[in-house]
Amino acid sequence: MPPLGSKPAPAKPAAKPGSDRRGFFYTIFATWFGAAWAAFTVSMAAMTLGTVRFLFPNVVAEPPSTFKAGTPEQYEPGVVVERYKQEYGVWIVRIDNQIFALSTVCTHLGCTPNWLENEQKFKCPCHGSGFYKDGVNFEGPAPRPLERYKISIGDDGQIVVDKSRKFQKELGQWNDPDASITL
Amino acid sequence: MSVGDFIRNSQVWKSIFRHPAPKDRRNRVVVMLTNFFLHLHPVSIRKQGIALSYTWCMGGITFFLFLVETVTGVLLMFYYRPTLEHAYNDIVTLGQVTTLGVLRELHRWGAHAMVITIWLHMYRVFLTGSYKPPREFNWVVGVILLVLTLLLSFTGYLLPWDQLAIWAITVGSNMARATPLLGHEGPGAKLLVIGGVELIHSGSDARFALLGQRFVGEMTLLRFYVLHCIALPLAVALLIAIHFWRVRKDGGISGPL
Amino acid sequence: MVGGQDLTPAVQNGLAGYYGLAALANLAYGALAYYKFKDKLQGFVWPVVGGVFAVLALLNLAHVPWVKLPIWYKDLSDHGIVRSLMHFGVVGTAADGVFYVGLGLLILMCFVLAGDIIYSYFLRASSANGNGGGNANNRGNGNGGWLREPLSRITAELVVIALLGLILFGTNAISYFVASIVGFMAFLVWRKTLTKPMVIWGIFNAALLFGGLSMTDYDFRTIIIKPDNVPIVGLVFVVGFFTWLAFRKAVINDERRKQGLPPAEKEEEDKVLVWPDLVYTELICMVVVTIVLIVWAVALPAPLEQPASSTRTPNPSKAPWYFLGLQEMLVYYDPWLAGVVLPTLIILGLMAMPYIDFNQKGNGYFTFEERPFAIVVWLFGFIVLWVTLIFLGTFLRGPNWNFFGLYEPWDPHKLVPLNNVNLSDYFWVRGLGIIWATNDPQSLSGFLTILMRELPGILLVLGYFMILPPVLAKTIFRSFYLRMGFIRYMTMIIILLFMASLPIKMVLRWTINLKYIVAIPEFFFNI
Repeated sequence: MPPLGSKPAPAKPAAKPGSDRRGFFYTIFATWFGAAWAAFTVSMAAMTLGTVRFLFPNVVAEPPSTFKAGTPEQYEPGVVVERYKQEYGVWIVRIDNQIFALSTVCTHLGCTPNWLENEQKFKCPCHGSGFYKDGVNFEGPAPRPLERYKISIGDDGQIVVDKSRKFQKELGQWNDPDASITL
Repeated sequence: MSVGDFIRNSQVWKSIFRHPAPKDRRNRVVVMLTNFFLHLHPVSIRKQGIALSYTWCMGGITFFLFLVETVTGVLLMFYYRPTLEHAYNDIVTLGQVTTLGVLRELHRWGAHAMVITIWLHMYRVFLTGSYKPPREFNWVVGVILLVLTLLLSFTGYLLPWDQLAIWAITVGSNMARATPLLGHEGPGAKLLVIGGVELIHSGSDARFALLGQRFVGEMTLLRFYVLHCIALPLAVALLIAIHFWRVRKDGGISGPL
Repeated sequence: MVGGQDLTPAVQNGLAGYYGLAALANLAYGALAYYKFKDKLQGFVWPVVGGVFAVLALLNLAHVPWVKLPIWYKDLSDHGIVRSLMHFGVVGTAADGVFYVGLGLLILMCFVLAGDIIYSYFLRASSANGNGGGNANNRGNGNGGWLREPLSRITAELVVIALLGLILFGTNAISYFVASIVGFMAFLVWRKTLTKPMVIWGIFNAALLFGGLSMTDYDFRTIIIKPDNVPIVGLVFVVGFFTWLAFRKAVINDERRKQGLPPAEKEEEDKVLVWPDLVYTELICMVVVTIVLIVWAVALPAPLEQPASSTRTPNPSKAPWYFLGLQEMLVYYDPWLAGVVLPTLIILGLMAMPYIDFNQKGNGYFTFEERPFAIVVWLFGFIVLWVTLIFLGTFLRGPNWNFFGLYEPWDPHKLVPLNNVNLSDYFWVRGLGIIWATNDPQSLSGFLTILMRELPGILLVLGYFMILPPVLAKTIFRSFYLRMGFIRYMTMIIILLFMASLPIKMVLRWTINLKYIVAIPEFFFNI
C-alpha cells in the first residue's frame, strides 16, 4: 500500500472565468460594483433620514409660554386655584408661604386630572392616578409627581409663570429657587 | 330578434364580454379566466373550501367592509374640512345639509365591524392551522393588515374632533412619549445627549412625529386626516393585493392535506 | 341610586320584542331538533323554554312592574353576599357569620385544590409509570366517573373557588379575572360536554335571559346601549359563537381521528366550480352584511359628544374600544411597557408564530388534541387577555378608572384606596431598614445609589428572563427545546414570558399592592 503522500493530488477544479476568489468583503468594499451599491445604500438612507426630518417642522405655532397670574396676595394658603387651568393648563397652589405652578398634565399618560376639593387631591380620570395638593403622586399608576413650572414675580409685582421651564421632583429640582415663590 | 339578443350581439357588448353567459360548464370555466374581477378566484375549488362553517367568510367580509369604508369615506370627504374651525361643525351639520347623512353611521359602524371581522378571520385561520407551511408568509402579511386596520380606525377616531375623539387619541398617542429611546419620557431617551444638547425632547420625539405638535391640535388633525384618507388605505390596498395573490399561489384556501 | 327609572314603557316594549324573538328562536330550534335530528328530548325542552320566554314577553307587553332583577341579586353581583343578605333581613353578625363560613369554605377549597394537585401530579404520577401531566382525555372518559379524572376534578374545584369568590366579594377586578381564567379552563377541559348542541343552546338561553333581565337595570342599560359599546356586546356573542363552532368541529375531528378516520373536512375533497357555487355565496354574504350594516346605521346614531377641549378630560376617559385591553394593562405597567413594548411584542409574536410552531399536524382542519399547546396559548391570549379585558375596560371601568359592578351606578366620588408600594420599599425600607436616597441622580454616585436601591427588582427581572428559559428548557419544555432548536425556542419562551408577565403583575398588585418591581422614575424606567 503506497503511503498516503504519494497519492496523486486530485486536480484542482478549473477556476471559472470571472469567479473572484478574493471573497465577499473584497466584492463589497473594493470593486466598482460594491462602490455603486454602497453609494445607492447611502443615498437611500439619506433620503429616509430626510423624510423623517420632514416630519418635524422648524417652526411650530404654539401659544406663548409665559403668562401673568395676579399678585401673590390674591392666593390664600391651602387653596388650589383652578382659574388658569382652562387656558394655560396650570394650577397655582399656595401651601403655607409657598406658591408654585403645577402642570395639569398627568405624568402617567397626559390626561388632565381633576381637583377634588372634598378629598383634597388631584385625581386623574384616565387611569385613576392620585396626587396630593403639592403634586406628589400617592395612588394609581402615575410613576412620578406632577411637574412644576417656573414661577417668579415680575417687575410689576405680578406673578409670572413660564411654562418653558419644568421642574421635576424626582430629579431634585423642586428645591430650585425658580420652582416656587416663598412669601 | 329580441332587444336582449340585439344588445348581446352588438359590438360594444362583445368587446366587453368575450364569451356567452356562464350557463354551461365550459363558459363557467371561461368566465373565471377572462373576467378581471373574477380571476382572483380559481376555476374550481374543493367543496370544503366554500363551506361557511369552515371558512366563516370573515376574510371576504373584511374585504367587503374595506370597500364599503372606501366608498362611504370618499363621500364623507366631500363635506368635511380637517381644521379646528370646521371639523366639528361639519360633522354636526352633515346630517342636516345632506339627505342620507346616515353615511357617517355606515362608515363608523362599518369600521367597528371590520375590526371584529378581521379578528375573527385571524381566529379561524389560527384554529384551522392555516398559517402552517406553505402559508407562513401570508400570515405575516395578514398580521400587518391587522395592524393597519387598527391604525386606520385609530386615525379615523380623531376626525369628528369631539371630546370622545380628542381624549381617546390623547391617551393613545401619549404612549408614544414613552417609547424607549425615541420618546422624551421613555427609558434611555435622556442618554442621547450630544454636547449637552438633548437629542430627544418633547419637540423631537416619536409622539411629535405622530402629532405634528406637542399636543393633540390642528396639525394632528391634518396628519391623521392624511394618514386616514390616503397613506394607510393605499398601503392596505397594496397588501390586500399581495394577500390575495399569495392565497392563490400558496395552494388556494387551506384544507386538510 | 344616581340613575333613573329601572323600567319605562319604552324599555318594556323593547324587551317584549326581545323575549318574543327568543321564544321564536327556541320554538324553531326545537322543531329542527325534533324533525331533522329526531331528538325527542330537545324537541320537547326547547319549546317549553320558548314558552317561558313568551310569558316574559307578554308580561312586559302588559307593563307588569315586577319582571326585573331583584335588588338582592344586583347587590350580590356588585358587592357580595353581605350586602345581598341585607335584603332578607339578615344583618350584622348574622351576615358576617355567613360571610366567614363562605370564606372558610373558600380557604378550605384552596387547600383541597393544592392537595389534589400535589397528589395527582406528583405523588400518584411518580407511582404510576410516570404518566402524569396533560392529556386528560384518554383516561376515565365518558363513563360517569369524570371526577376521578384529575384534571377534570381540579377544574371543578377551581370553579367552586371562582364561584365562592364572586358570591363573597361580588364582581371586582380580581374575582372577574379569576372567573374568566377558570371559565376558560373549564371550557377547554369539558369541551366535549359543553359543545354539545343541547348544552350550548341552554347556555345561550341563559345568556339571553341574563341579558334581558339585566337590561331592566338603569345603570347596566345606560352603559350597554351607548352606541360605541354596541360592537362589544356583539363581539362577545360573536366570539362565543365562533369559539363554540370551532370546538364543536374540533371535538368531532378528534373523535374521528381516534376511530382512524380522516378529519371531516377531508370528506369533501371533490371539487366544485367557483361559478356559481362560490360567487353566489359571496354575493349573498355581501347582501347580508349590507343589510345588517344599514339596519345598524339607521337604528343607532354615531356618537358625537361636546366639541373637543384640551383642558376638560371626561371622566372616565377611554381609548377606542379595541385598545381597552391595552388600557387595562396600563393600570399595571408603565406606558413604555404596556403602551409600546408589549404591543410591539404582540405584533412581532403574531408574525413569528408560523415560524415557531414546529407541529405539522392540524393544517387545514379544526382540531384540539393534535395541537393542544398552540391552541391553549392562543386562546389564552385572545380570549382571556384580549376580549375579556376589553369587556372589563368597557363595562366595568368607570370614573377614575375605578372598578364598578355590572349594576353599580358610576359614582365619580367612589373612594378606592390604592396605596401601592414599590419592591425596593418592601425590601430595603420595610425589610432591612435601609434607605437609599440621592439628590443628584445624574451624577455617578447618584446613579449607583439608584442602582443599589433597585438591585432586588433588577435581579428578579434578569432572573425571570435569563434563568427561567434554560431551566424550562431542561424541565417542562424539554421535548420542545429538542425539537425546536435554540433560536425558535428562545423566541417562543421570551414571548411566553412577556405574555405571562401581565397576569403575574396583576396578582402581585392584588395580593401585596406591589407598584413596581423596578422603579427608576428618574430615568422613566419602571417595570
